[in-house]
Amino acid sequence: MKQHAKAILHSYPEILFLQGGATGVAILAVTLLNPNVGLAGVISVVAAYALARLINMDKEFLASGFYTYNPLLVGLSVGYLFRLAPLTVFFAIAAGMLAFVVTAFLAHVLRTYLVLPVLSLPFVVVSSLVYLASLRYSNLLVAAPGSTRLLASDWNLPVWLSGFFLSFGAILFAPSVLVGAIFSLIVFRASRILFMLAIVGYYAGACMRWLMLGSGTQAFADPYSFNFILIAMAVGGVFLVPSLGSYLVALVAVGTATIVLDAAVVFLSYCGLPVFTLPFNLISLGFIYVLGLAGSPLIARSMGRTPEETLENHLSNRLRYRGEARKLQLPFAGAWTVWQGVDGQWTHKGNWRYAFDFVITDDEGQTHRNSGVVLDDYYAFRKPVLSPVRGRVVQVVSDLPDTPIGSPDTGNNWGNVVLIQDTAGLYVELSHFAADSICVAEGDWLEPGAPLGLCGNSGYSPQPHIHIQVQDTDVIGAATLPSSFISYAEGSTHQANNVPQQGQTIETLRVDKELDRYTSLVLDDVLEYAVLRNGEEIDRIQLTVGMAPDGTFYMSSRRGKLYFGKHDHTFFIYRTTGDDRYLNMLFQALPRLPLGYRPGLCWDDFVPVGVATSGVQRPLIRFLSSFWPKLGRVRVTQRFLTRTEVESTIESKLPRVSMSARIRVDSRLGIASIRVNELELVKVDHEES
Amino acid sequence: MRKEYERPVITKLQSGLMNKFGGSPAYSRKVKESIAGVSIDDLVSRHGSPLFVFSERAIRRRCHHVHSAYSTRYPNVTFAWSYKTNYLDAVCAIMHQEGALAEVVSSMEYDKARRLGVPGDQIIFNGPYKPMDALERAVSEGAQINIDHLDELQDLEVLATRLERKISVGLRLNLDAGIHPQWSRFGFNLESGQAADAAKRLVNGGKLTINALHCHIGTFILEPSAYARQVEKMVDFAYELQDSFGMSIERIDVGGGLPSCSRLKGTMFAPELSVPSVDQFAEELCDALSRRLRPGDCPELILESGRAMIDEAGWLITTVEASKRLPEGIRAYILDAGVNTLFTSFWYKFNVEIDREVNGVNETSVLYGPLCMNIDVLDDGIPLPPLSRGTRLIFSPVGAYNVTQWMQFIHYRPCVVLIGQNGEVDVIRDGEDLTDLTRRERLPERLALNAFSSSSHDTQGSEPVSSADE
Repeated sequence: MKQHAKAILHSYPEILFLQGGATGVAILAVTLLNPNVGLAGVISVVAAYALARLINMDKEFLASGFYTYNPLLVGLSVGYLFRLAPLTVFFAIAAGMLAFVVTAFLAHVLRTYLVLPVLSLPFVVVSSLVYLASLRYSNLLVAAPGSTRLLASDWNLPVWLSGFFLSFGAILFAPSVLVGAIFSLIVFRASRILFMLAIVGYYAGACMRWLMLGSGTQAFADPYSFNFILIAMAVGGVFLVPSLGSYLVALVAVGTATIVLDAAVVFLSYCGLPVFTLPFNLISLGFIYVLGLAGSPLIARSMGRTPEETLENHLSNRLRYRGEARKLQLPFAGAWTVWQGVDGQWTHKGNWRYAFDFVITDDEGQTHRNSGVVLDDYYAFRKPVLSPVRGRVVQVVSDLPDTPIGSPDTGNNWGNVVLIQDTAGLYVELSHFAADSICVAEGDWLEPGAPLGLCGNSGYSPQPHIHIQVQDTDVIGAATLPSSFISYAEGSTHQANNVPQQGQTIETLRVDKELDRYTSLVLDDVLEYAVLRNGEEIDRIQLTVGMAPDGTFYMSSRRGKLYFGKHDHTFFIYRTTGDDRYLNMLFQALPRLPLGYRPGLCWDDFVPVGVATSGVQRPLIRFLSSFWPKLGRVRVTQRFLTRTEVESTIESKLPRVSMSARIRVDSRLGIASIRVNELELVKVDHEES
Repeated sequence: MRKEYERPVITKLQSGLMNKFGGSPAYSRKVKESIAGVSIDDLVSRHGSPLFVFSERAIRRRCHHVHSAYSTRYPNVTFAWSYKTNYLDAVCAIMHQEGALAEVVSSMEYDKARRLGVPGDQIIFNGPYKPMDALERAVSEGAQINIDHLDELQDLEVLATRLERKISVGLRLNLDAGIHPQWSRFGFNLESGQAADAAKRLVNGGKLTINALHCHIGTFILEPSAYARQVEKMVDFAYELQDSFGMSIERIDVGGGLPSCSRLKGTMFAPELSVPSVDQFAEELCDALSRRLRPGDCPELILESGRAMIDEAGWLITTVEASKRLPEGIRAYILDAGVNTLFTSFWYKFNVEIDREVNGVNETSVLYGPLCMNIDVLDDGIPLPPLSRGTRLIFSPVGAYNVTQWMQFIHYRPCVVLIGQNGEVDVIRDGEDLTDLTRRERLPERLALNAFSSSSHDTQGSEPVSSADE
């Protein structure tokens, strides 16, 4: 029962781009202020939900309210037009179910073929059908203007203000100043960014129409202005990452929407139809689609529950995970130097821009000893080349000679080549092997790090070096794709996944079996910690390892969850949910831990600003960071003291954060202790106690 | 202009065959006016003579060179600094900064590494004699212990019982790598099955497990392929242990033994000709290792190279204190440093350089040390021009084994300085004085020489050792 109620309640906040059961209850209550409208909405959404359950729709997803907010809107529109009577109830049920079917259909089509959200397009379609059909249903009783004085009152507000609230209320078929005010409060409480966008959207759109229509009253009082509110929220904060850029796009979208709105009003009035949210849907979908087409960095890759969360994740993820999705291990042993990187000055241009050339340099930066006139002088010459991926060898060329220094082979650019297809289906090409040195054959299966042959000077190669590139066909020398390298040290700095730059000397950081074992937390492992303040125990927490439906593992306390995982030879804490200060403390102290050890190895990471702040500061910084992304950049600088001890400093200018932490990894499992300023978590060991 | 006085020399007249090595032994000489950019004069005037000089830049460059030779050929290479080669704190610190573990062979060396701040798990403990308390400390601090003999294996089992946990250990092997002499006194012999028996014995005991194999085939190895044969045998044995007992060998420690550019006495060619390059050694070893390992397997390769890393980064400055002509007619010079200071002179023929240009024809000369001992000879036949008193002779390479094997005998041991990367000169070991000797001495009261000192009115200011209340 609780589950059903939850699913139905979750439909309500979706309409305002919000989430959460409590918000759902509030919005439901507000719609019931006009019982005719509110009840019709409930009936439709229950009907749609029942049908969804009947046909076995995915429960998890259904509970999010995604499939049922359109039926809700349709129900509200039915209640807005007709008085509730048995026939109207039947009509609302049928309309709700139809809306569900149209939602499921359109959602799938839009997602699959256009990678677009469905928004409230099903509502526009079904409500238009309902209104058209009802023209013939004389048995349906037209609703009395059933609003009470409370709802009808404009509280003597000027039209430019009452118009805003009216429009806001009209989103849920309650064009009332009071309801609009309540909705804007609900939105303000959940997200300051959405609230700001709603205001800006409304006034931008209304002012524009004022200019065009020539009548301020008409422009401001038109409840259809809710389209501007929705467009600004959807484009500026929900589907794009909130930023000055997204706000600008939102303004442009609102501006263009005025044309669509008035055109739609004129056109649909011939059919006796209201425009509903048609302008919102057309404009939002159009803009999102075009931005996606252009590969705009504004598009939100992962959506949070609020724009603030989307932004926070975007900002910290962009800083935290810097490499590409196509990842390689370094194709050599020891320290090599990037001779030419991506967009290099010699040959890594155009189609071949995403490639890397590696050489070996000495303390003086020379790639050779002696005078460097013979191949043997070069440090890289005849050094092993290792497989950068797990995969199968698809092509080998090995019979080309090593050309003398300064006379590259201009006929066979790529020289001796090994082309490997990795497990993800991508092709990795390695070039310029020494003559007859390749020790793998077509069809061989390779583990990462397997010897392929020796570095040489075949092909178009001025000096012995390793050339590596990723491509999506098995043609030698095909166009390159962006790629990056995992788990390497640049000087004493660890990089989990990054694109090395020209001139950097880098070396693979091998997985340390012990660190790997210490951080292998398995499902149902329970870790108990005593919380000490200045050495005195003040609390205890118990963390249990579990798995989320998307496959990520987490440690849950009673108050929250901390998501973690291992990839790129690194242990990561991804995020925390809930608001457990101890989990947040853990996240801040150790956002990542390289699984390769080297004395003095250091690394940088960033944690979302929400983790490091609390109180009023948190929403304020989150809001402001949409204008100034550098704000709230909480940097964590870490360093190995010993194999099992890490020192961290957590710093940010605004908000002012400056903490130092000491982490000790347990040589059996997990973290033995974490100290951040005066607070310390110490693992309680039950075997010993 | 007055002509400068040139001392007469006696040279043997040669007739018949020409000098088959070419060159001009009568006039060739080597001059070295500075070390790492600091002049010999400066060094001696500030720190005295004799003086050991190390160059930080030379040490680091050599480390990078040797490390790169191996690490670019095999992906999992770790160096361990052989403490006995040179355990001056400053030298060890540089090695550790360059990423080396500490390889120690006694509790003294172990203590020294720990005192320097090396964590226990960064120490490899080798050697034929490890006292129980040292073993216990090493086990509790997580050091890698390489077992030398069955008695030590039993000691470790006792410790494992006492500490109630299984201890991971390394097994030291000796094997035939095709070179002579075969070092057979350390560890368990591979070919005779002794090593397999030791492993079996260890498994039966149930208290220990093997995580490493160690083998040191000898010293000053001049045959790169010996390392290939060594590592092949070690890998085969590692897989034997893995397949028979399920042990996973995470470390293959091939010891040290790499030569430096020193000239062993009795070798015909200069080291530049006779000593293979580090790259040749690395290539033989890493190729053999990569070929022998099973796919996906990549145990840590440990090298305990000492001499090859440090020898050429050390010089000894000495001063000609006197010259004489021996009855045989040979010119002899007496230096202020002898075999007490330059212990490796027993087996090396050093490169000797003069701190200034000297005129005159070379004469085969003998270099004697300052000891009142007949054996104190640093070189018994070196062509040198006539040297005047106060000339400095610079011996090299002397970085390995001298500042550990030197003796406090007859004379004090000299000062050691390190020339930093920016040319700064730091004393890393003070020259000794009398307190270094007397600090440990205890004179029983009844032997105090009070009566003697008061009666002789000794006014040297040296206090009597025992205090007599008067």
